[in-house]
Amino acid sequence: MKKNLLAVLLIFVMIFTLAACGGDEPAGDEVVTDTVLTMATTTSTDNTGLLDYLQPLFLEDTGYELQWTAVGTGEALKMGENGDVDIVLVHAKASEEEFVANGFGVERFPVMYNDYIIVGPEAENTYGDDLEACLTKINDEQLGFVSRGDDSGTHKAELKLWTAFGLDQTANPNYVESGQGMGATITMADEQQVYCMTDRGTWLSQKNNADVDIELEIVCQGAKNLLNQYGVIAVNPEKFEGLNNEAANAFIEWICSADVQAKIAEFGVEEYGEPLFFPNAGTDN
Amino acid sequence: MRRKGTVMENIVIWFKECFTDEAILSAIGVTFKMAVFSCLISSVLGITFGLLLERYDFRGKKLIVRINRTLMGMPPVVAGLVVYLLLMRRGPLGMLGWLFTIKGMIVAQTLIITPIMTGMIHQHAVSKVPAIREFCMTMGADRRQTIWTVLKEMCHDIYFCMVTAFGRSISEVGSVMLVGGNIKGHTRTMTTAISLLKSQGIFTEGIALGLVLLVMAFIIQWLCDFLQKEESADENY
Amino acid sequence: MKIINLEKNMGSFQLKIDHLDIEPGKVHGLVGHNGCGKTILLKTIIGILTPDSGTIDMEGLEKSKMTMMMQRPYLLHDSVYENVIYPLKIRKIPVDEAKVDAMLEKVGLLAQKNQYARSLSSGERQKLSFLRAVIFGPEFVIMDETLSNMDPESERTIISLIKEIQQTRPITWLIVNHQLEQKKDLCDVIHYMEKGRIVNETA
Repeated sequence: MKKNLLAVLLIFVMIFTLAACGGDEPAGDEVVTDTVLTMATTTSTDNTGLLDYLQPLFLEDTGYELQWTAVGTGEALKMGENGDVDIVLVHAKASEEEFVANGFGVERFPVMYNDYIIVGPEAENTYGDDLEACLTKINDEQLGFVSRGDDSGTHKAELKLWTAFGLDQTANPNYVESGQGMGATITMADEQQVYCMTDRGTWLSQKNNADVDIELEIVCQGAKNLLNQYGVIAVNPEKFEGLNNEAANAFIEWICSADVQAKIAEFGVEEYGEPLFFPNAGTDN
Repeated sequence: MRRKGTVMENIVIWFKECFTDEAILSAIGVTFKMAVFSCLISSVLGITFGLLLERYDFRGKKLIVRINRTLMGMPPVVAGLVVYLLLMRRGPLGMLGWLFTIKGMIVAQTLIITPIMTGMIHQHAVSKVPAIREFCMTMGADRRQTIWTVLKEMCHDIYFCMVTAFGRSISEVGSVMLVGGNIKGHTRTMTTAISLLKSQGIFTEGIALGLVLLVMAFIIQWLCDFLQKEESADENY
Repeated sequence: MKIINLEKNMGSFQLKIDHLDIEPGKVHGLVGHNGCGKTILLKTIIGILTPDSGTIDMEGLEKSKMTMMMQRPYLLHDSVYENVIYPLKIRKIPVDEAKVDAMLEKVGLLAQKNQYARSLSSGERQKLSFLRAVIFGPEFVIMDETLSNMDPESERTIISLIKEIQQTRPITWLIVNHQLEQKKDLCDVIHYMEKGRIVNETA
């Protein structure tokens, strides 16, 4: 009898939980729609904590609540194309321009840039800013290299580098694709003591926070090709119903303002001793 | 989805593309290799443990059964994490160099499936083996003959458990992603490929792979049903 | 076979046999109400259960020459034929198929020879069980309610087979049957059991 009672109780709890889940969401949507801004962005802005840093400031300044989902650039743009989000913040200029040209986005605004670095099992700055020497050596000597291989902005940027120096990375049997996020890819490269390309922000936070020390070092940095421009684009409200274009525009205006740009430049300095992102609204790379 | 043409044509195109695409074929191959090996290893272990648990009474047996039941419900990602920590370069088994290889994935899968095998075999054994053992005794069979008869008589149940385990193995993603690393052409399975395709915003191939998995799940389900039906037909006195 | 001071506790039930003499070459009946411990006694004799105390003196009888027909016979997931020859295989006795066929014929199972054993009816299962028990030439056979689960005709067949065996090469039988009273002509000795004890014997 006691057992039965318990079972009945359990079932009730489950039903109520379900009902609560089902019931709350539409109600919540109705009330909050106009104050919530949904964003699709790349893992780098999330992994580094930049958005956690900006969100309360944005709420305070404008009253809008920023909710984001961090995915690869490819998926982020796809979410924009499906009208699942109000705004996208990504870093793959060509794809972004195509996104706008196809009418899914209103206009692309450059916001900031960070830079990519090549890390590997060698002494720090072995190649200085000579990216060509670094990549050529990896390719010629068939050294191990873990690529994201996930169509993300970082992956696209990496592919462009090989092409830029006329190298065919696929000829290297030790060039592998992890198909995972930046953090997982760095861990994998470190485990196997091979090279990979990463954005500096993820690298610093990974190096600082990982339980198992990362033994790789930055072997190449500072080259012009390694700069990584972020752009923000409001999803076209004429294409989809129910988008919060007002909030999206407010965000664009806000993040491009001098105040916020200065705040972006400050981000990370305290923790890592160097900024993770360099604001450059109005200009471009 | 973006392609023009009828739905049927699109489906045909999907499958043609999927089954000629090297990366997808490799993912299917890796999935099978991993599932077959982990299923075989955990079957040997699970059958042994399950039957031993049925056969012998000892102190703490209830606790072991309970722990096993907990492990049966262990989230695969946890198993993946444990195996990852064991196999990583600076882990206790780092010298094997099995991280990000199919071997590592098989270890993780074995860790996940063995408790399930053990639990299921034990459960089946409890309801069947005592009668078989008594029968063997009345027939004058010795120890070895008894074990052989038990295995032979349990083979339907064993198949059933193996099929279930195989199904678990091919559909698993968490531990495979962690331990295998989803390396294209090496450790990418159907499930991790789907998760990558989704992250790239490519849903078409993802769905095609998903369909392959579903078809396999259906076949497995059907095999299970078939085996169980045969079993239940037996018991009608 | 002599059973002396045998004790076996199963939960709250206690089997206590002070003395039971099972004379070789005779047909022994064992009668008692349900739950009086007959099956426990039989399982202890065959060795499925180990006694808590007391001795079972086999008097030179080899374990491999003993067998028992269970109340619900276990059937292998195989054909009737394979089930029947199982004890021969166990003892590595070469199988003479013609002889097995003749035995199957006698109990009326020849038509079902290659049939899946578990598709048999309850009575047929008992006949298979009987055949399986006697096929290897045992010297001590225990039957747990085998005759009670049969139609009258099958029962007659089995009884006549027992009698035939007793005439050619007498062996020891220990037969549990609740209707044994009516079959006094089959049994040489009848033992009565009550609440785990032997209460009296009639010759």
